Amino acid sequence: MRLRAASPGAPSLRYGAAWSACGLLAVLAVAWLPLLPTLPALLSFGGLSELAEPRLRALFLRTAAFAAGSALIASLVGAPLGLIAARVRMRGAEVLELLLPLPLLLPPLLIAQSWHGLTGMDGMSSALFCLGLCYAPLPALLVARALARQGIGAHQAAVLAGGRRLALAEMARCAAPAAVLGGALAFLFTLTDFAVADYFGAVGEKFTVYSFEVFTHWRESDYRGGARAAAPLVALAGAVLFFTLLWGDRDVGGGGASRPPRLGLGRGNWIAGGLGIALIAMVLVVPLGRVLYETGMRGPVGEGAWLARSGAAFRDAAQRGGPDLGRSIVTGLMAGALAMVLAPVPAHLLARMRPGAARSLLGVAIALPLLAPAVGYGLGAILVFNRDLFGNFYESRLLPAVVLAGRYTPLAVFLLAERLRALPRSGEQAAALAGISQPAVLWRQRLAAQRPAWLLAGGLVLVFAIRELDLAVLLPGANRSAAVRYYNALHFARDNFVAAFGAMIAAVLFLPLALQAAVRGLRPATETA
Amino acid sequence: MRSPSAPAILACVLLAGLAACGRQADLVVYCSLDREHSERILALFEERTGLKVEGQFDVERNKTVGMVNRIIAERDRPRADVYWNNEIAQTIRLKDLGLTQPYFSESARGIPEDFRDPDHHWTGFAARARVILYRVDLLPAGTRPPQRLDDLADPAFAKSGAMAQPLTGTTLTHFTVLSEQRGAAAVLDWLERAKAAGLSFGGGNADVMRRVCEGDFVWCLTDTDDAAVARRNGNPVATLHLDQEAGGAGTLLIPNTVCMIAGARHPDAARKFLDFVLSPEVEALLAASRSEQVPLHPGVVTPPEVGLPDRDFRAMKVDWPAAAALLKDRAEAFAEVFVR
Repeated sequence: MRLRAASPGAPSLRYGAAWSACGLLAVLAVAWLPLLPTLPALLSFGGLSELAEPRLRALFLRTAAFAAGSALIASLVGAPLGLIAARVRMRGAEVLELLLPLPLLLPPLLIAQSWHGLTGMDGMSSALFCLGLCYAPLPALLVARALARQGIGAHQAAVLAGGRRLALAEMARCAAPAAVLGGALAFLFTLTDFAVADYFGAVGEKFTVYSFEVFTHWRESDYRGGARAAAPLVALAGAVLFFTLLWGDRDVGGGGASRPPRLGLGRGNWIAGGLGIALIAMVLVVPLGRVLYETGMRGPVGEGAWLARSGAAFRDAAQRGGPDLGRSIVTGLMAGALAMVLAPVPAHLLARMRPGAARSLLGVAIALPLLAPAVGYGLGAILVFNRDLFGNFYESRLLPAVVLAGRYTPLAVFLLAERLRALPRSGEQAAALAGISQPAVLWRQRLAAQRPAWLLAGGLVLVFAIRELDLAVLLPGANRSAAVRYYNALHFARDNFVAAFGAMIAAVLFLPLALQAAVRGLRPATETA
Repeated sequence: MRSPSAPAILACVLLAGLAACGRQADLVVYCSLDREHSERILALFEERTGLKVEGQFDVERNKTVGMVNRIIAERDRPRADVYWNNEIAQTIRLKDLGLTQPYFSESARGIPEDFRDPDHHWTGFAARARVILYRVDLLPAGTRPPQRLDDLADPAFAKSGAMAQPLTGTTLTHFTVLSEQRGAAAVLDWLERAKAAGLSFGGGNADVMRRVCEGDFVWCLTDTDDAAVARRNGNPVATLHLDQEAGGAGTLLIPNTVCMIAGARHPDAARKFLDFVLSPEVEALLAASRSEQVPLHPGVVTPPEVGLPDRDFRAMKVDWPAAAALLKDRAEAFAEVFVR
């Protein structure tokens, strides 16, 4: 398909609309198909009206407040961490920046168990604390990204006019929307989390969350009832995402092509460095350290010293869990690759649409598979694909790849859209004037320019596909997976095997980021202010 | 370097998918018993018969109802041949939904009739007992853990103990059975009294077991498989069977159950599997495993740690179909008490 030439500055939607629509439809077909059996109930007002019941209303409001608290903690921890990692001149800042996304890749329950193992903490406040830590990398990453794109001129003017204090204030102004956006994403993830709340609410201070109410309906195999019960959560999550995307469109005067310099804080560098290390320790080093320690704890596996027990636990994990981890990696790779094919067109579309309600609405529509409960999504996939029409596809290894790609492609779309949006339009417009088709421009020019981000988008889907438990239980081709093995063993004890297998999974989850860092290379230390 | 094209990536995905496909299974078993214990039984069956078995497993985190949900969702085109449930109520529910088919296995002879469906749709085997797990080192000198279920709601015991919320799994089954025997209102009243007395309610049996191991509680009500893991992991714990006094109700035994799915694609292999899994040999293997399941066949040789009904404790008499019929209603009623 050829592009019609567009005059500079004309909205891109005027050309290439047909192939854009086809690409978008392909994504919606893959991602929305499993939603179809539950969609009417999911978007119905029936579920909302059930909130009239006092018990459900109180539960729902408390869950929303709980998610807001987690978002606040995530922002309070994540925003300074992102600022220190991205813009403070100190030794090891690049390493800190590289570590930022890693906690996001760990299953929240793993972090929760580590903190519980360390401190014996319980109850709602502990769940809040842990979920806040789990999702702190979201504001941290977004703040780091926003500050990396802060205009050099604005930064230097602030340094000249008001020294470090004004420069920091300018950074805070620049990072505020990103911190809010990150907090809102933490809110969304917390809203639908069931495992961590269930774990900390198990004994001690009693509390439960609305997602448990949703779960009780799936338990009765009443998938429409489950979707109806989930409707208020999905509606709230959709509304929050809509306004978050609108807020994220705010122009804060950034967008410089080159990264502004890091800021020296004088003696304050020590404080910033200490704070950065303390925060990354809380969100990553302590939980992982605890898991590694547990690999050699006293238990039924191995004899002798810690090291011998740990070695025995890793050998046991490799023997019993290795094949499952291998299958999870293959499924995740297929899902990631599919997402890399599916994500560019909607990402391009989102990047090129004018900021506003229409774009935010499209964002919410793309994100819907992610906002819907995983169990409902999995049951929907069974109802849609377990038909003669699909032959053996239902039991093949391709089905989980397709379903997992459908559920997690929104993550790839948002990441890629943000990166594509940062690219200048001039190259695209020149290609259009030269008569190059828009698919060719997208694949050969724009994606080539953002290859690390494109790979990262696929890697992100790979990671979330490996982490996914609910769909792995429900989809035949995904059942013999690392997640099912891990949670199955966890039922009995947090023994050496569980710790070693958890550490192995964490290492695999970190791999895509490590590879991406290898492709991109560590950024050299920037010049001083 | 040019970016790879979409068709190239798709071709890679398809190739990877095809490469990942292996030989089709001769038998598909959906299994809710923990994979750690059931996997070796499936492997042994494969070894004995040469049949390829596809095992699909559940997890405790979703309260082990994933396989039941799947069987119901797949009802128009069943994929499972056999369902091996780690409890009984959901299996009876599948029968009531018309999703099972009858088969009487000769291996089931000897299993008490209480644990067999009169229509041969399901058979129970290898049970778990509901017991008190307690820390021997934390129990104050001269005191005893609760001996009767009603002791759990006594403030003298309640503050130092825990049990799972009766919302899922064997605890839901246990309190549904009690509702059938004592009446729904009496059980709700019992739960309210226990809460008021300070009894802690956990997310699951394994949760409360772990908290006892960590020293948060002196005792908990749990299943024998969880108790066995606590002991095998080196914790200073012991178990006690409830309601063993003269005239007491006895200890509830909740069996694994196995059934053949209606419309099974491999019925012959399914029957062979049922014959195998219901044999005394498999019960002995499960008794010797980390989960220490209680055999229902008489005369099965077990390790000394495994308590046997009529030898080491008295089991509760249960009308399982009547209890299973109440399950959904009781789950909703208990949710009113605990999900708030």
